[in-house]
Amino acid sequence: MVAALLAAPLAPIVAGLALVAGDRVPRAVSRHTAYAVSLAATLISLLAAALIAYDRPSLNRPWVPEVGMRLHLAVDGISVPLLLMTAAVGVLVVIHARHEQPGGGTPGTFFGCLLLVIGGGIATFLVQDAISFFLAFEVVLVPMWVLINRFGDPKDASERARAAATFVLYTVLGSTLMLVGILTMVFASGTADLATLARHPLPAGQQTVVAAILLIGLAIKVPIWPLHSWLPRAHTIAPTAGSMLLAAVLLKMGTYGIVRLVIAPLPAGVERLAPYVATCAVIGIVWGGLVCLVERSLKRLIAWSSVAHMGFVVLGLMSGTAIGLQAALFANIAHGVVSALLFAVVGGLKHRWGGDDLSVARRALRDVSPRLSLALVIGLAASLGLPGLAGFWGEVLAIFGAWNPGGDRSTGWFRLLAAVAAVGAVLAAAYALRVLRIVWMGDADGGRPLPPSPESDARGGELVVVTVLGAATVVLGVLPIILLNTTSGAVDHLMAVVGR
Amino acid sequence: MPSASRLDTQSLALDLVLQPSHLVVLLPAAVSVLILVLTRRSARGAFVIAAIGGLLGLLAAAALLAQQARGGAVADPRTIGELKVGPALAVPLRLQVDRLMVLVAVAVALVSLVVQVFARWYLYSDPRYRQFAATVGLFTAAMQLVVLSGDVLLILVGWELMGWCSYLLIGHESERAKARRASYKAFLVTRIADAPFAIGLAVLALGARSTSIPQIVQHWQSAAADHGTALTAALLCVICAVAGKSAQVPFQDWLPDAMEGPTPASALIHAATMVAAGTVVLAKLVALLELSGTARVVLTIVASVSMVGAAVLAFCQHDLKRLLAWSTVSQVGLMLLGLAVLPVREPADLGISHLLSHAMFKALLFLLIGWLSVLVGGTIVERQSGALSKHLAVRWLVGIGLLALAGVPPLVGFVSKDLIVDEAARRGVDGDVSARIAFVALVCVVALTAAYTTRMWLILVHRTGRQRVVVREAVEDSYDIRDVGIVEMLAGSPQVDVHGRPLRRDEPMPPVVDDDDDGPLPEPQPGAGARTGLQLLAILSIVGGALIFSPMLEVDWENANLWLIGASLVLMAAVALLVRLMSIGTVYGDAAARLPLPLRSSASRGFDVDAGYVGLVARPVVALARGVARLEGGLDRGVQALPALVTRVAGAGFRLHTRRPTSGLVAVALGVVLVGLMGVIWW
Repeated sequence: MVAALLAAPLAPIVAGLALVAGDRVPRAVSRHTAYAVSLAATLISLLAAALIAYDRPSLNRPWVPEVGMRLHLAVDGISVPLLLMTAAVGVLVVIHARHEQPGGGTPGTFFGCLLLVIGGGIATFLVQDAISFFLAFEVVLVPMWVLINRFGDPKDASERARAAATFVLYTVLGSTLMLVGILTMVFASGTADLATLARHPLPAGQQTVVAAILLIGLAIKVPIWPLHSWLPRAHTIAPTAGSMLLAAVLLKMGTYGIVRLVIAPLPAGVERLAPYVATCAVIGIVWGGLVCLVERSLKRLIAWSSVAHMGFVVLGLMSGTAIGLQAALFANIAHGVVSALLFAVVGGLKHRWGGDDLSVARRALRDVSPRLSLALVIGLAASLGLPGLAGFWGEVLAIFGAWNPGGDRSTGWFRLLAAVAAVGAVLAAAYALRVLRIVWMGDADGGRPLPPSPESDARGGELVVVTVLGAATVVLGVLPIILLNTTSGAVDHLMAVVGR
Repeated sequence: MPSASRLDTQSLALDLVLQPSHLVVLLPAAVSVLILVLTRRSARGAFVIAAIGGLLGLLAAAALLAQQARGGAVADPRTIGELKVGPALAVPLRLQVDRLMVLVAVAVALVSLVVQVFARWYLYSDPRYRQFAATVGLFTAAMQLVVLSGDVLLILVGWELMGWCSYLLIGHESERAKARRASYKAFLVTRIADAPFAIGLAVLALGARSTSIPQIVQHWQSAAADHGTALTAALLCVICAVAGKSAQVPFQDWLPDAMEGPTPASALIHAATMVAAGTVVLAKLVALLELSGTARVVLTIVASVSMVGAAVLAFCQHDLKRLLAWSTVSQVGLMLLGLAVLPVREPADLGISHLLSHAMFKALLFLLIGWLSVLVGGTIVERQSGALSKHLAVRWLVGIGLLALAGVPPLVGFVSKDLIVDEAARRGVDGDVSARIAFVALVCVVALTAAYTTRMWLILVHRTGRQRVVVREAVEDSYDIRDVGIVEMLAGSPQVDVHGRPLRRDEPMPPVVDDDDDGPLPEPQPGAGARTGLQLLAILSIVGGALIFSPMLEVDWENANLWLIGASLVLMAAVALLVRLMSIGTVYGDAAARLPLPLRSSASRGFDVDAGYVGLVARPVVALARGVARLEGGLDRGVQALPALVTRVAGAGFRLHTRRPTSGLVAVALGVVLVGLMGVIWW
């Protein structure tokens, strides 16, 4: 079982490094080899993740004793869903990358970078040690930069370089702050173990300072308004597979970091800062929703909707209640699945259309490509919080959680935030239906619907990807209990520790 | 099949995990899933699934009714299990089966089945029939979930799903820009009204520490004295959402636009599902409504204004389908008044009984107007004038539907409406403010309803529509000389109304028979199943009133005020006579033609409330969005300065680094040597 703990992150990382290195020899890795290796690595990783989720093994031994760093790999109810989602999305991303492989570099490098991001994500959700958390976190940045810079939208090289530079500089700035925060915390309390940190909180004043540093650093990763500028740019330019990973894995690492590094060990600091962070999150909900109402680039619009959805997650996290935390963890997973689905569909559309400008008149997608359009409808409906799909439970429970905040948080202020968030959810409906009206219904007037053209519909790998993600969206929406029961034990434990 | 031991033959109680109440919700949902998964292109296959599923759904509802009557129904069946969200809130997600809601479930299942069967004929050649049937299934499931839900979160689930299904159905013919706009508008208006709903439910649930409705009612009944303001605020939020879904003032304008959907969809939305859902939800919370005077008065005012205003608008409509739409708004206002004037600690029988009767006759009327529109090619007055004098098959059914709508005894509409009027009068005499407001509004509505139903009937049976004959001859001519391309083009081009705007034109045209010299055209008519369904609805519209004698409805019919009934009948007769007089001499038998044209055209646009929505909400929000997008541009430029700055610093460093010892470096080296020397000397 311990082997599974090591295999889950190492299989993609080793395979990824091998593929990238393989490109440096005279005879580059072929597309088929790269795909086969990647698929095998991600499948091994998914299998290992399933074993870990089932058996919950643990590995704990000294690694770098000078800084109190240990090789401590384990999972609990909070990390298991994220682990499984990352591993599963990893497989789907590889399948999708086979279907739609951008130019700009060799297949080996492309698949290798994807694998490194997936492996880094899995490692992040496995480690139980603040410093190794930071290391795993950083593994993903450079491959992601390569994905954006080399394999991004081929039309505009300068925009590609700019998006990649903004991404890497901004997130490295966040990482630096996070490292400062982690080191302060670790040296102040003398341990890097996350569970031990949570059991021995610092004095309240120190907690506030450390929490502020960590929250700013992590807010860049999540991202929380107003530190979100890198996200729409990176998503717009990144290749479809990269966008899926960015939405489903990278953003989740930010929220997971907030739970593990901030909420659990620094409860007093969080309580002081929660109103400010929650306010920023709610501004982000409304801000993202409003921008989506006038945004013309479809891919950018979906990226903006991510900002809005992550606002609900952060609002739930900051409410300091078990309801809010459960809501945030649910919305986190839901957003990962839904935005991966949406980016897969929208990336496919951009590929077919040769651009993603919404002001160009096109035939109704519901007539042209029925399967792809169903996936788009499911994704956008989930994005607007339709019950029966994944997006609903997280958002409504986040509002419930924020209505009666925990601790000494100002009830009146959080109620105002909850009300504004409810209005922000209406904006989600407005922009999701705006997209459906333009893309799904088309702009014909009169006449009968035209027969579909199967050659432009989702097929093969793309169909597999959107079907699995669409089905996951429905299952999470109809049976939220699967996920909520998984996380509830760990959340109760966390709330007991925090509420002490 | 359940074994004998599992079924208690006395009470019909069933000892299984899956109860009839589950099936009532699950079967229609299964219809939509199965249609999407199993049928590829086959409309026939989709219809088979829809019809069987609908029939089974109706049987399940009937079984539930039988169980409830015998006392064997499980009162709170569990669903997916309790959601664990911490100690502050229990989320049991259970259903709640009670007397009134079982009746509503049967009505919903019945209407849905008739709609499914009728839609097969109405949308026979529609390439999107499969999607339509699937959406109707999901819609029915969502409504049944609201009806049978015992948990506010489940209500919210069904509530939002219905909004979504109505969006899909209204936008069914999305080739037309009007349908696209109408569906967008319907969803957004109801969604805006729903924003406070989540908040209101959060207040109710968090106060009671449970989302279960019985718990909420119990908690707030004891806590109302201390937390009256919170209760009132929560109820006002709920009333706002109800006004949105039930198309009451100020959210009413989405409903007439929803007529862009196919007629069977309108029948479903108006008769049994979405619009009636508001009444169902308030009926579940009626015990709390009685505790808050403010909420009751607000509800009374909203419902009264909507009821009277919509009845006036119905009279002025130029499109008979929109007339029916406005009459729905009016009738739903009547149901809500039935809840607002309830005596303290009474269950919501009055409102629910009107909901049931409205479901029957309104489904009937909408499906019939769909049938007629196929026969005469449109729903505007000019087309519909005289429709019934030619197509006798429909005449009886329309007559029954209109009489029930007008509330003529002994039809079902009379029974349920009179009970509400009676109760309002009784409580008004006792000095209840909201009952007095309600009574005045009810008197107006009795007269106005008689007026618009009479108007509709007179238009439909009008004989001397000369222009109509001309129109029809022109159309039929074109069938004779099909070879002449331009005439064919004229007949096939979109029709326009009096303002020159295109009409909805996607219903299947009556099948063209070229040999009309040999005899009258065979009239298109729905299949036998659909006609049976319509006849069943008509029969229920006549005899359904007898339900008040059954123990399923607890209403006080024995003490009815006969003077009041007599007075309202006289009023209705007088109004009908007046309308008849007004219609004499008009071209289409349309009494409203006597009204000034600006009033009629403004009323046909719903008094231009739409412009208010656009001006007060849509434009400011879009302007705000543009402003935010500009701010975002500024923020983005600021952030972009970051890589530019770094690049500049790096470039400067690179330029400074010339790979040669520079004068500066020499100076520094000399300085170091100098300092060293000074140190050595002074040491």
